[in-house]
Amino acid sequence: MDIQLAWLCLIFPFIGVLVTPFLARISTTVMNFGAVFFSFLAAACAVMLFPLVFSAENLPLESQLVWLHTPITVSFGVLVDPLSIIVANVVAVISFFIMVYCLGYMKGDPGIMRFWMLMNAFIGSMLLLVLANNLIIIFIGWKLVGLCSYGLIGFYYRDEKKYWIGGPEPYSFDKPSACGVKAFIVTSVGDMLMLGGILIMYFYAGTFNVLELYQTAPEWIPAMAATPGMIILVSILLIAGPVGKSAQFPMHEWLPEAMSGPGPVSALIHAATMVKSGVFLIARFIPIFYYGYWTAGVEEAMYFFLIVAWIGAITAFLAASQGLVALELKKILAYSTVSQIGYMMLALGVAGFSQDLLVKGYAAGTFHLMSHAMFKACLFLCAGTVIHAAHSIYINDMGALRKFLPYTWLFMGLATLSLIGVPPLPGFWSKEAVLLATLESQHMMLFLIVLVSVIFTAFYSTRYFGMMFHGRQSRHIKQELKKPHHHVHEGYLPQTIACGVLAAGIVIFGLMGMRVEYALYGLFETQLVQDLAHSTVLSVPSFDKTLIMVLSISSVLIGVIPAYMFYIARKWDADLVYERSRLVQVVHAFLWNRWYINAFYNWFFARGVMGIARFVAEKIEIAVDTVINKLTPSGVFGLSSISVWFDKKGIDGFLDGLAYHVQNSAGGTLARIQNGRIQEYLALAVIIALIVCGFFWLS
Amino acid sequence: MMPSILLQIIFVPALAALVILLFRFQLGMKAGWVAVAGLAYTTLLLLLAFFNVYKGAPIEETYQILKSPDISITLVADGLSIAVAFICNILCLALGTYSIKYIYHRIEVLYPETIGNKGEISWYACFYYLFLFFPVGFMGVSFASDLVLMYFFLEVLTLFLFFLMAYFGYYERVWVAIICTVWGIFSALFFLAGVALIYSQTGSFQIEQIHTMSGDPLAFWAILLVLVGMIAKLAIVPLHVWMPWVHAEHPTCIAGLLAVYANIAAYIIVRMLVLPLWDDFQVFGPYIMVLAVITMVYGSLLTLAQRDMKRIPACSTISQSAYSMLGIGALTAASIEGGLFFFLSHIMGKTVFFSACGLVVYMTHIRNVKYLGGLGAKMPITALVFLSGGMMLAGIPPFSSFAAEVVMFAGIFERGDTFGLVIGIIGLMAILLSISYAVHFTRIIFFGPLPEKLANDDHIKDPPWVMLAPLIAIILLSAFLGLYPTLVMELFEPVISSAIANM
Repeated sequence: MDIQLAWLCLIFPFIGVLVTPFLARISTTVMNFGAVFFSFLAAACAVMLFPLVFSAENLPLESQLVWLHTPITVSFGVLVDPLSIIVANVVAVISFFIMVYCLGYMKGDPGIMRFWMLMNAFIGSMLLLVLANNLIIIFIGWKLVGLCSYGLIGFYYRDEKKYWIGGPEPYSFDKPSACGVKAFIVTSVGDMLMLGGILIMYFYAGTFNVLELYQTAPEWIPAMAATPGMIILVSILLIAGPVGKSAQFPMHEWLPEAMSGPGPVSALIHAATMVKSGVFLIARFIPIFYYGYWTAGVEEAMYFFLIVAWIGAITAFLAASQGLVALELKKILAYSTVSQIGYMMLALGVAGFSQDLLVKGYAAGTFHLMSHAMFKACLFLCAGTVIHAAHSIYINDMGALRKFLPYTWLFMGLATLSLIGVPPLPGFWSKEAVLLATLESQHMMLFLIVLVSVIFTAFYSTRYFGMMFHGRQSRHIKQELKKPHHHVHEGYLPQTIACGVLAAGIVIFGLMGMRVEYALYGLFETQLVQDLAHSTVLSVPSFDKTLIMVLSISSVLIGVIPAYMFYIARKWDADLVYERSRLVQVVHAFLWNRWYINAFYNWFFARGVMGIARFVAEKIEIAVDTVINKLTPSGVFGLSSISVWFDKKGIDGFLDGLAYHVQNSAGGTLARIQNGRIQEYLALAVIIALIVCGFFWLS
Repeated sequence: MMPSILLQIIFVPALAALVILLFRFQLGMKAGWVAVAGLAYTTLLLLLAFFNVYKGAPIEETYQILKSPDISITLVADGLSIAVAFICNILCLALGTYSIKYIYHRIEVLYPETIGNKGEISWYACFYYLFLFFPVGFMGVSFASDLVLMYFFLEVLTLFLFFLMAYFGYYERVWVAIICTVWGIFSALFFLAGVALIYSQTGSFQIEQIHTMSGDPLAFWAILLVLVGMIAKLAIVPLHVWMPWVHAEHPTCIAGLLAVYANIAAYIIVRMLVLPLWDDFQVFGPYIMVLAVITMVYGSLLTLAQRDMKRIPACSTISQSAYSMLGIGALTAASIEGGLFFFLSHIMGKTVFFSACGLVVYMTHIRNVKYLGGLGAKMPITALVFLSGGMMLAGIPPFSSFAAEVVMFAGIFERGDTFGLVIGIIGLMAILLSISYAVHFTRIIFFGPLPEKLANDDHIKDPPWVMLAPLIAIILLSAFLGLYPTLVMELFEPVISSAIANM
């Protein structure tokens, strides 16, 4: 029954996609609740799978059908193991609450049917990705998720000005349709590279099945290692997919623009689902490369972990730094997501650094994935409500909203505290687990980078929260309040309920934080050490856990205190600091322009490719076309005119001329012979006879 | 099993063409439905043949043309030919249905003086009796077991394409029709020279006898000659220059068939060169792969820079045809099967993509994308069809092109050499360009605000269902084959994998 539940879990949302148009024919209300109901069924199935983690020794469970058996073998099936159960629950349950929220948020939208279909397709694809038992089916889910996100990010495809993001004036804006295109293309770069990695791995392993890949690693990893550089190449290719999908450096630039979709879409993509798929997939690959390095002794396999960890650390720092100055609320949350996923990547990366870190790093990465999904979903949903209420996407257009949106203030406050890493909320526990794993890896540079990121996170989180809910009302809010039917109040009930449930979940999850951490540790120890027989050593903590807590809380305070003084207590003036310091202005410009990476990518890739395309079309193709389709026929006709000239002047001319001369000169001369005098004919005959005889006589 | 099923499949469309020609005035505007009925019948026959072959019983029919000298023709339906023939026929049926409305519009534009009189019916019938020789040609090439027959049907295609282009094409249609014919003849001459060389060594035109030439030094030249001809047909760089003209200026309703006309060369290469002359062909593999990758990138870049609605899919065909060649050039069972599956997927995708472009031109009378935009609001189903076509070309699941790409690239990496590795990764990255132009043009044409002129035009809406339904059916077929690729792969397996395994 358990395995059937897994099938049902991924099938229900797709059924929801198919029936939505039919439900729409009954009524919009039926369609709305119908669409949410199918996401509920998926969530219910996922929750019913959850008890399996308490009997991890009975896992994994697998069920499969043959999708393709010639010329390559690919099965289509589900794999129920601790990782897939946890991530499926995160995806399905949080998605369900987001769908509930949408009942209010999307009320009256003319494209509501398309919206429900895309949302359910997205959830189904994500569950397919998570529950699939082999890499090709995972990749199918992976691409479908990308396709749905393209549709959802560009949901407001008519590009009405109210949906533009970017700015404010005089800075440039981005239109939703362009944002969807950008997201799809950038993530596809990683997708294609990852597909290459998967197919190369298939060449060596002869299977796409995840469990078989683990089990047969002793045979194919050494074979792959026989080609120098191959494991590094495959590592890079495989990591490229998660880097793209999870918006990690250097493919992180699509995510801030992806905020052009409806608010709940941002929650779905940037909290619960798509951006987590990269982390999930890295976790799927870890046992393979861990085996390669620590058991098979393949040195190159360590590059996988090094690349993942460094990408994670760099991204955590880079994105957090951009969040310090951003003014768009959802963009700040997007930077925050990118940064937090960097933490998860870092934890998973350090899992391979030593044998005692495998379970620690793996558990820390997964734990942060769970806690982040919860508080970030809550943050995005609350942000949607606030943006709707304030009628602006900029936090400097808000201010003093607490009294108008008290529930949202509370829910968003709890989620923000969790993001900052304030105990006992889940963000604190999971971040502490990441910090501990990093510190124990003995890579101090990585640890310092992530510690600075914690400070940045604390600062930008306090900043946006203060600018939204505290201080003085902005001029914009004052103007909004003057409007007779303003929206400066809480959203519809389903919106508030969804945010409230998530906020309650954050608190409960936080109170259970330590237990969850230990439970995950035990769970992954069963999966990775007992089931997969990875060699590990007993964990002997090199650092006291209290040290980590002190460092973590200190970093939080270093970030929170100045932000509090600037944006909540308003004792310090941020504008004054900016105006007085040239250095602050330069740093601000650097961060505001996203380290100029986006501008560089636009110039190099977008304009570069279009420039090459135009060069190909307007120079090369026209030249080739002119030579072959125009000059060649002209040449042929040119040759034919020579032929015509030769025919006229050469052959015709020779024959005509000959005839003329025969007629006029030779003819005239010969005509004199024909004079009618017989004696002359006779004499001529004798002369000719003598000549002929003489000729024969002489010869 | 129905008697003479393959012969019926080839000649029923010709018979329908004859009926349309002879009874055009009696049929009037129903001529299109007669063509569709004929093609529906052959589709049913193909389904019968398909399941027969799927069960492991290839079909072979021999007909004696002359007793003295003994001349006979043999038609063969095995796993490879039946799959190709079936998809081609489905596309002919779909486009025959699509044309019912479309060609009427074309006649209105081209021959307005004939509207309302017999001339109009004549042109309408003319289109259909010419059109029906496409299925004749495609079925003939698919089932031909000897080279003369194959050549004959290839020439049938070139000949009738000329008239269709010249009568129903767009700008400079006669000039373009001549270009198309000249290039067709160019291909045919190389093909014929290769055939003559094969005949000189084997003493037979039978495809099954070509293998006796294996190891002969002249096999190299025979392969080279046929390959040059087929590369020109496939529009591989640098012999691609006919494609943008011909694809852009032909009547859109035969767009998919032009893609088949070009891509069927991939089938011919596998059938005639790769399988019988496996060892001799090896030397060409790397060169084909390099040319294919260059073409994939070049064609995609060319597509990205287009502004003409009809040139977009035209240039895309250049790129997409090369995918099949990449698979074939890699010379592993998986890459060849994947390459041929991609050929089938591509012609389905191109039919949808091109026809969707045609729908936009049909409804708006605008070809320059600069003047388009926001049409998704007025033509939502067309937008979805267009995007689906783009996704079918770009190999996005669940469409069959994804499964084809997976099989093909798995085969390319199966070579196990650095060359295959590098080319494979470049090839995968080239797909990115296909994805880029698919979403880029969807955005330009269908997203964003509606230009005022289009917003005020009440005639702009989704076209009639008779034009949309065939395209939706192809999209569903592609999705079905993507979800169940085994159906096609099991057909290919005994012909390709088994044959290669025995070499």
